[in-house]
Order: sequence, then C-alpha cells, then structure tokens
Amino acid sequence: MSLRTTKQNGEWLDRTKKINFTFEGEAFIAFEGDTISSALWAAGQKVLGRSFKYHRARGVLSLANHDVNILVTDGMDTNMRADIVLVKDGMVLNAVNTVGGVKKDKNSFIDSISPLLPVGFYYKAFHTPRRFFPFWEKVIRKASGLGIVNFDYPRILKRKLHTHCDVLVIGAGPSGLTAALVAAEAGLEVTIVDENQQAGGSLGYNRGGNVATASQLTDLLAKVAGYSNITMITGAYAAGYYPDHLIPIVAANGITKVRAKTVIVASGAFEQPPVFRYNDLPGVMLGSAAQRLIYRYGVKPFNNGVVVTANDYGYRVALDLLVAGTKVVAVVDLRAEASSMAAELTKRGVKVYPGHCVYEALASSDKSGVRGAIICAYDEQKNVAITTKKITLECDGIAMSAGWAPAGALLYQAGTAMQFDYAVQQFVPNRIPDGIFAAGKVNGIFELEQRINDGRRAANEALRYLGLSAPEVVVEKHVGACPSHPYPMVPHDKGKNFVDFDEDIQIKDFVNAAKEGFDNIELMKRFTTVGMGPSQGKHSNMNAIRILAKIRNLPVEKIGTTTSRPFFHPTPIGHLGGRGFHSHRLTSLHQWHADHGAVFTDIGAWKRAAYYLTAGQTKEDAIQTEAMAVRQTAGIIDGSSFGKIEVHGPDAAEFLERFFTGVYTTQKVGSCRYVMLLDESGVIVDDGIASRLADDLFYLSVGTSNAAAVYREMQRSQQMWQLDLGLVNVTGAFGAINIAGPAAREILATLTDLDLSYESFPISSVRESFVAGVEARLIRVAFVSDVGYELHIPMVQVPQVWQALLDAGKKHGVRPFGSDTQRLLRLEMGHAMPGVDTDGLTNPFEIGAEWALKMTKAYFIGQRSLQILAKKPLRKRLVAFVLAENFKGEMPMDCNLVLEGREILGRVTSIGYSKFINRCIGLAFVTPAKTAIGAQFQIRTDNGSSVTATVVKTPFLKN
Amino acid sequence: MQALTPNKAVKLDAKISPAAPAQSGANVKWAVMNDMQIATAFASAEVEQARQKVLGVTDVSCFPRYGFKGPQAAQWAADHELAIPSSPNSWTLSDQKSLVLRLGGSEFLLEDQIGGIVCEKLSSISARVAGVYKVPRADAAFILNGSAALNLFAELCSLDLRPSALLANDVIMTQLAGISAIVIRQTHNGEPVYRIWCDGTYGAYMWETLIEIAVELGGGAVGLASYQQ
Amino acid sequence: MKLLTCPLNGSRPLSEFIFGGEYRDAPDQKTCSDSEWAAYVHNRNGAPGDKKEWWYHSPSGTWFIAERNTLSDKVSRTYLLSVNTNQMQEQAK
Repeated sequence: MSLRTTKQNGEWLDRTKKINFTFEGEAFIAFEGDTISSALWAAGQKVLGRSFKYHRARGVLSLANHDVNILVTDGMDTNMRADIVLVKDGMVLNAVNTVGGVKKDKNSFIDSISPLLPVGFYYKAFHTPRRFFPFWEKVIRKASGLGIVNFDYPRILKRKLHTHCDVLVIGAGPSGLTAALVAAEAGLEVTIVDENQQAGGSLGYNRGGNVATASQLTDLLAKVAGYSNITMITGAYAAGYYPDHLIPIVAANGITKVRAKTVIVASGAFEQPPVFRYNDLPGVMLGSAAQRLIYRYGVKPFNNGVVVTANDYGYRVALDLLVAGTKVVAVVDLRAEASSMAAELTKRGVKVYPGHCVYEALASSDKSGVRGAIICAYDEQKNVAITTKKITLECDGIAMSAGWAPAGALLYQAGTAMQFDYAVQQFVPNRIPDGIFAAGKVNGIFELEQRINDGRRAANEALRYLGLSAPEVVVEKHVGACPSHPYPMVPHDKGKNFVDFDEDIQIKDFVNAAKEGFDNIELMKRFTTVGMGPSQGKHSNMNAIRILAKIRNLPVEKIGTTTSRPFFHPTPIGHLGGRGFHSHRLTSLHQWHADHGAVFTDIGAWKRAAYYLTAGQTKEDAIQTEAMAVRQTAGIIDGSSFGKIEVHGPDAAEFLERFFTGVYTTQKVGSCRYVMLLDESGVIVDDGIASRLADDLFYLSVGTSNAAAVYREMQRSQQMWQLDLGLVNVTGAFGAINIAGPAAREILATLTDLDLSYESFPISSVRESFVAGVEARLIRVAFVSDVGYELHIPMVQVPQVWQALLDAGKKHGVRPFGSDTQRLLRLEMGHAMPGVDTDGLTNPFEIGAEWALKMTKAYFIGQRSLQILAKKPLRKRLVAFVLAENFKGEMPMDCNLVLEGREILGRVTSIGYSKFINRCIGLAFVTPAKTAIGAQFQIRTDNGSSVTATVVKTPFLKN
Repeated sequence: MQALTPNKAVKLDAKISPAAPAQSGANVKWAVMNDMQIATAFASAEVEQARQKVLGVTDVSCFPRYGFKGPQAAQWAADHELAIPSSPNSWTLSDQKSLVLRLGGSEFLLEDQIGGIVCEKLSSISARVAGVYKVPRADAAFILNGSAALNLFAELCSLDLRPSALLANDVIMTQLAGISAIVIRQTHNGEPVYRIWCDGTYGAYMWETLIEIAVELGGGAVGLASYQQ
Repeated sequence: MKLLTCPLNGSRPLSEFIFGGEYRDAPDQKTCSDSEWAAYVHNRNGAPGDKKEWWYHSPSGTWFIAERNTLSDKVSRTYLLSVNTNQMQEQAK
C-alpha cells in the first residue's frame, strides 16, 4: 500500500521522472530524488535491514545518514546507506547483513538467544578459557563484519583536490546560511558545505504544520544564490578538522581539502531516541525522520501514529504528521506538564498524555512492524514507568522526540572544551580554538530567530578575527521548555530497550558493565561497544553518558565524552588513496635500459637497471654473465643516480674536514679521497669519494639512496658553521657511467686524448677532459674492479657517451651491467656498503674502518663519540667469509643469524655466489672471538639448517 | 636561442628532453632546438589548439638555462648587466626575452625565451668569481595554459595559486605531485600561462602526471610548434 | 595539516618540511666529560614546553629554526640561524 502523499511544497522529488529498481528481488518504483529508504517506505516496505548483532528487523530511524542497520549492496558497492543514497534506475539492491533475505533472515534466531550473549561477550569469549579461543574466533569471525568485500571492484579514480577560502561554513541550516550571507556581504570568499542533498537544514522539514517555513527557506536560499562569492557544496560532508583550518570535504567523487582562514561550525544536532522496550521496531522512528519523510520525499510515515516526546518538538512533529494525513492517535509526553501546543492538538482530535511514557511498543505478529504501544504513567524523578495502569494504543508507527546531541565532532577535533548547559541539557562549546566559531543548535541555540541571530553573531566574530570590523550581536539564552529531556529512558524487566542500534546495546548492558567495573566512559565504550558501530555513537553516546551518570550518581558533565576522531562518516579507502602519486627519478639512459631488457629496481627515488635479461635467461644467469664480463673484459653501468655535490669556495677543504672523518686540507688537486659521514653518536651514515678539482672546489660522489639526506646535512652544517663556501647539489644535473674491467682502459683510451697510463692517472685520482666529445670528470675508482673509471658528464649527454663506449668496446665484448650485478662485484672486492652492511647502530670500528678516521683532527662530526667508543671493547665486527667449496645446501640469506648454540653471535649482511671465484661469499657481523682468518661460525638459514662459514681475507678475488 | 627548425633531421647524438621517455606515440613529431630533441607536435594543429583552450601542456625543456648562486650572485648579475628582481622569490624579464628568477635571496635561474640570448652569453664565461657559484641546470620545464590550469594545480599542489595569491611576479618553490618544483605565472599572447620547472630526472614522471590530469580535464599534450604560434 | 612559516618562503603546509630535531647547543667536546657528551648525544628532554627546533623547507632547501611550544603545538616564531640572528638574540637578552 502506497504511503506517498500529494506533492509537498519544497520536496526533493522530481515526480515526472520514474525510477525502477529491485530490492531483495522485488520490483519497486520511485521518483527521482528518492533515497533507497524513502522509496521503499513509500511502497510500504518496512523491514529494510537487519541489525548487526541480533539480526532484528529494522526500518527508518533517522533518514539522516545514521541508519546503519539499513545497509544495502548493489552488487558492486557494499554497505551503501539506504537512508541517504539516491536510488537510480535499474538498481538491483539487497540488504547486507542477512542470511537468506531481509524478511526471513535465518540469523534472526540470534535475537531469541540474546541472553546467552551478555555484554562484553567478545572479551569474555576470547579471554578464558584459552583453549576455546580457536572455536570462538571461528564463530565470531563468521558472524562479525558487515557486507562482503567485492574483490573485483574496479579502480575508480577519486580525486583529492585542494581549495582555499576565507570562511568555511559547515552546515547549511538557518544558522549556517545566515553566517555565509554575512561573510559574503563583507566581501569574503565563503564556502558552505552540507551533507544533505539540498541546503536548508531543519528549516526544510521542521515546520510544525506551518507551510510558511518553506517560503522562508526559499527566500534565504535565493539570497545565498545571489552572491557569487559563496560556493555552496551539498551532498558532501566535512569529514574532520585538521590543524590550521584544513577540512577535508568528502563527496561521492572525491575529497576536497579546504584550507580556510576561519571556520564556522553550524552543524546542528542529532535527534536522540528515547529508550523503551522495542524502540527499534520498523515503524518506530525519530520525529525528525518522520518530518524528513513527509517534506523531502512526500511520504506518510504511518497511517496511525503515536508520538512519544519529552520536549516541545514532538508536538511539532504531530502537527506535521497531520499535514501528511497520518491519524495521530496520541502524543505521549514524559514530562508532567504538556506543551502549550497541546491545546491545538487536542482541538484537532489528538489525545495528549502528559506524564506518560511508552512502556513498550508492540510488534506485529511477524515482528516486521508495530501494531500498538503500551503506555503508562512515568515517574520523572525516579525515571521509571508506573505500570499500575497501562493503556494499549493501536498504531502502526511511533515517532520519537526526546532531545538532541550536538553534531560537535569537528569542534571536539579542533580542541574545543565543551561544558554541559543545563538550560538545554546539552554539551555546548566553552572554549573554542582561535579562528573557529560555532553557531546554532551545536552551540545550544534552538529557537529559530535566535539561530539566525547566532549565525550572524558567529560570522561577525569571524570577520573581526580576520581583522574586519563588525558589530557585536547579542544572542538570547535559551528560555522556555528544554529541547532535551535529561533522562528519556524507560526501564523494562524484559529489556530490548535499545540505546545503541548499531550494536544492539540495551540499558541492562550498561548496568552489567558498570557492575563488572567498566564504569568509566572510555572503558564502558570498549566493553559494551557503545558508539563503536558505523554511526560512531551519533544517536547513542549521549544516552550512554546519561545512563552512566545515573549509575554512578554523578552529574553528566563529570562523566565526560569519548574522543572524537576523523572521519565523521566512514570514508571509502579509494577516496583516501586518491590518484596515488608515485614519483620516481629516471636517468637519461632509462629508455635505453628499457629497450635492452633491463629489469628495474627502486633505489631511493630512482628506477635503476638491476640487470639485463635476454631471452631464456634467469636473473641469476644474467647477473653472473654481467659480472664475468667485468672480470674478464669490461662492463659499464649507469651510475647517474649517485649523489653528486660540489663544494665551492676558500673554506671547502675545511668544511669537508669537519663534515667527514678524513683529511682534506692536504689533499692534492687532481686526487680523490674516501669520505665517511657519521652522525653525532658515531654511527655511519654514508660514504663516498671527494675529488679535488681545484683548491677551492671539491666534487663529492656519495651513495644513491642517502644523497638527499647527506646534502641536507651539509646545508645544515653550513648554516651552523658559516664558512666561506657554496654547496651545489648536482645530482640531477650530472650523470655518471662507470666502466670497469681489465679492458676498461683500452676502450676508454679510444674516446679521449687524456693520458690514461696508470702512472699519470693512478687509482684515486680525478681528471677533467673530453670523452667522446663530451666534457667529463674522470675518476679512477676501484669499487667493483681494480681498473675502473667513473665518467661524470652532464645528464643529457650520458646517452651519447654510453653509446660511444659500447661501440668502442664492442670488439672486447663490453657489456652493460646493473645494480644487482654491481652488488655482487663489490662484494667480490670485499667492500662494505653503508646501509647494506651497516645499520642504524654501526660505528666505523665495527666494520674495520679505523683507517678512514683521522682522530687527531680538531673536530669532525661524531669524533667525540668515537673517542668514547674507542675505549670500550668491541662487541661485533664485520668479517668476510666463504662457504665450503661446492656448497650445495640451502643458501643463507642476508640477515640470517650467526648462531652458536642458542646464542646469537651476529648476522649475515651480504651474501652471494660468485661464479668467477666459484664460491659463496659474504660479509657478516660476528663477535670479536670469531674474527681471525680461518675461524668458523654457523649460519642458520630460513628453514633452520645450519651452514658453516669460514672467515677469509678480502678482497675475495685475491684469496 | 636558435629558432625552431621542424624539418631539420634529428641527430642521433642530440640531447633528448628529460620528459621524452614519457612522450612516446606514433603522432609525435620531433625537432632539435638548442641542441635538444624536443616534441614539436603531439596531434594536429586543430586538436592542439583546442587542447590549449582547456589545458595544454607543452615541454620546453629545450629552452637554454643558466644558474648561479652565492653571496655575491646579485652583484655579479649587476656586473653583467642583468636585470634582476629586487626581492627574493620573484622574477623579471631581462633583455625582454630572458626570464630571471630569484630563488630565495641569493640564487638565480635564467631562462632564454624564444629569441633570448642571455644564457648563451653567460655560458661562455668560464672565470670563477669569489662568492659566485655556477649551478648547472638540467631542468624539465613545462608550460601550462588554458582555462582549466588551476583545476590541475588543485590536485597537484596544496598552495593557493589563483591570481589573488600567486602574484604576477611571484616565484613559488613548492611541491607538485610530491616533488619539488618552481612555479610562476606568465602572460603569453595576453593569456595567463603557468610555468613549471623540476629536476630533469623527474621530468618523465611530471610529464606523465600533468598529461594524465590534463586529458581527464579535456586538454592534453601540445607540441612546441603550437605554443610558438 | 599544519602550516609552518618558512622565513624565506612564507606559510606552507607541513608536508613541504622535514623535521631536523631539537636545536641544542653541544657541550665543548674538548672539555666535557664522557658522560656529559653521552647525555648530549643520547638523552632528550621530553618535557613539554618551548623548544627550538630545526626545520627544513624541502623545495627551497632552507634550514631554519622554529620556536614551538610542544604542549600547545603553537609556533611562536621562525628564523634563519645565522651569525646575525645569533647576535640579535644575544642583544635581545
């Protein structure tokens, strides 16, 4: 039976557009603008979903994005909130939390065994006895969770954008709209956001039967539309508050991070359900939900309704129900004194019961709806029902209006101190951080004129905060009936009086939790799980606080509130991911590498060629082939990712002496020296080569992954030391090629006029010359081979030199090699690499780098710590080791432990098979007792076997 | 700066724009400008002109650049008759055809626009002067124009780059798509255009990112030939 | 996200900065005892209050000092560490 009314003034529907969809296999017709819930309710479908724990039938509760029992799936998305998701043509919808459909959910039996599932059930089940844990884990895992993850979910881009404005107004109700107007009038750029599909807030639906409010809203919105400096965003929620007024606004298509100069929070209040037995039946809904059904969607909430109230708001709801054509059977008011509006209702045939409560709602035979309500007198002092005289009212629905909780999440997140205002029985802002202002219901202002006034006041305060002048606006304190009842709870022997609909928590659960000692709000939250469901306590926290306050016999403000964290509503991971920027650096040879079978690896920010695969080759083959080329003829590697830094100026050598461990003031122009950087505690940070190009110019090359950090530290040191020099980071401007191997010199000689004889260009020297017509810095290094030249050239010219080397080396069989091969080659040379063979605690003594330390210098970073460390016995030391000849067992891996019995002596830092040496070789930390040449130790592999290693001299090549 | 010569054969040993690895495609036309191979067209002139109206992205990495810094850098610039911006983080034109960006207080980035010759002139100076340090530049450089340029920045950058915040001669060193970059707003043929510089090794990544978003917004890659029109 | 003011580049989101630790004066390494030095290297005062901190503006490569109250997370001022500012601070005292 259709509950659709005639067209309502201001409704959100386009009745000319019909929409067909199915829910649980049944066909439905809706209008454009309907949400899934409003369309189903209009069609008379009352069971819309099942509760999470007891699988109880549930219907409309708030229609304000808190109806978390009404989650549906369209086959692609899951946990769609039917109360706010617009229905679309062709949708095929099903409720998520059921076994066998929402009407005949097989799990609804859980409701009948609910006494077996006491509060804290999870904790208890998991806790003792321990041996039952696996059983309970299986049961609970199956029962818990909502919806089924769609692993075929396509990647749909959700953009994350940044925008800026002067004033961000959160909430487009009367207060927010007024604030936006005032700020816009002052010429400021205003953004106003509201999570509803249309602006207006309660002005759109809280009419109390008076249609004039609709035109009041129309006028207000027309004024707002007249300002080009107001950006209105609806259907999107302000999801959190981050420092300095950054507010992410989540919409269906992505997140906009708004950076505002000032923020006005006019987010309103959530209506809170009174608590009585069976207050969760489909057909029992908040008064504001009934109003939303009527005025937004043209739907009559029920045919024969009872209004249970504890404030004046319920009377307005009753008047609105009359507009919709609902026969209002009675208004049941917890308060002894009825509202002044009672007379009008009585006149229209509505019976008003002051001092009464709904003792319980009566379920229809299949528990799918309401067939009546039992009411009786209510003792407001003791907060109990007086059951001596019960009256049964027949009805098919109950509207509930007992009070409000502020939508203060963002205020809390911003660090607002709230206080409890007894005049409105609500937490209101007391001290708000600078630049944030609250207005309207969230600020404890309820009367419409005063809310508009409060919006003006907040905007004027915001203007003054921004340095503009604006008059003071006085807002009247609340007078008259309190909008919220201090304790709208009706105990019942048989329970099922729900406080939290997400988690099916009843009054007795709080009592029992307190009895077990969980009587602090944070503990109670975790033990009962109140407020931990998808609505995060929006309709339950305030009642929970009130119940706890009563249990502990404390005033409400002494109980406090739980912490509010972003996000305000659940936000999909895809929104958080956004586009996903993965920045990476490429050398100018990247395309060449890719064209020649390179397998790339990420090193720092760089994509480096790890090795080059040809058809039919394995990774291991490729690495060994490349390594053999370097050992037997020559290989070239793209070293463009090395960190490269120029130190210019008269104090350059002095700077290096303070920054690194060695001596540089005496270094000859044209020579190179090793550099090692320590931190203040003496731990190795990085190493590299300093080439002196002139008295006042050093060229540093350091490792790939640490380059940015090394340069940064150099900049910081320069700020402190204020030496006469300049630092230039040329990492991206210069590329580098290393040509290494016995034929390297001969190949290079064909491309340069430089005298490459070992006498005039010995190891550890640097020359500037032309290679293949390109200006280059040539550095004689012995990192991967005794004969090796690093050619440092402008990045864009690297391909030219690379190709020339390949052409010149063709007859020698020169091969490119990658960074994985380089690792093996340097291991064969016995070189330890910072970050690979050292960790965040390794000092130079532990890797045998005493030779690199000039302890007699006046100062270098880490020197003082080394002086202390030098006096202490060494705890570990890096050694070179080999495995047995023809070792065939399970290959140990980097980080495998060196063990003696159960005692850990150290660990492997590098290991690999060298085809050239035909041995498995590696480096490992061991205790000082195991460092002698020939000493043996045991490595435990991943699978637990023990492998014997023998300490040898380096380089391995010469063993 | 050399004029663009689209018909000139591409030299095998030419320098290649750092963004080139991300610019493959059958329709791309290449030419050499200032010794660098650069994309002159990605689509027909009509298509590119349409893109430019919405959001055109042009690779101008081939424009000559010159960098220097140090305590005496400003004095050195004056000695070489360069017009320099008087305040940090701003830019000016020198000789009408060369951009001079002041990065912070004591570092300068020069870029010859089409017809400019300042960088070429300075490059020939080899003498090292106390307190002035040459900064070799290997930037990837791009031009963005069209009505949707700010929509693109809204996703890539957390700063407010609207004209009210990014003033006519401002130089902004910030992060775009997670990497360090320099941004200014220029006027080209009476239209506002945005310039972006980043380290050349990030050039391909930056190009990919700019184009991905530009295409989504209804624009796309525009060759240097169209930009010169 | 928090904003921080770089003395050269103005107000920027925190994502453009790298934290460089608390700014602390080292004891004279020639005269201090081993334990004094170890305390300087390894011990940090975690008590909330006004701290001088190193911050680095990454896009421009600018190190500067921020004076921040670690309890309120309010930055009272930022400035370049240079001989001049050191002198100015001395004079201010």
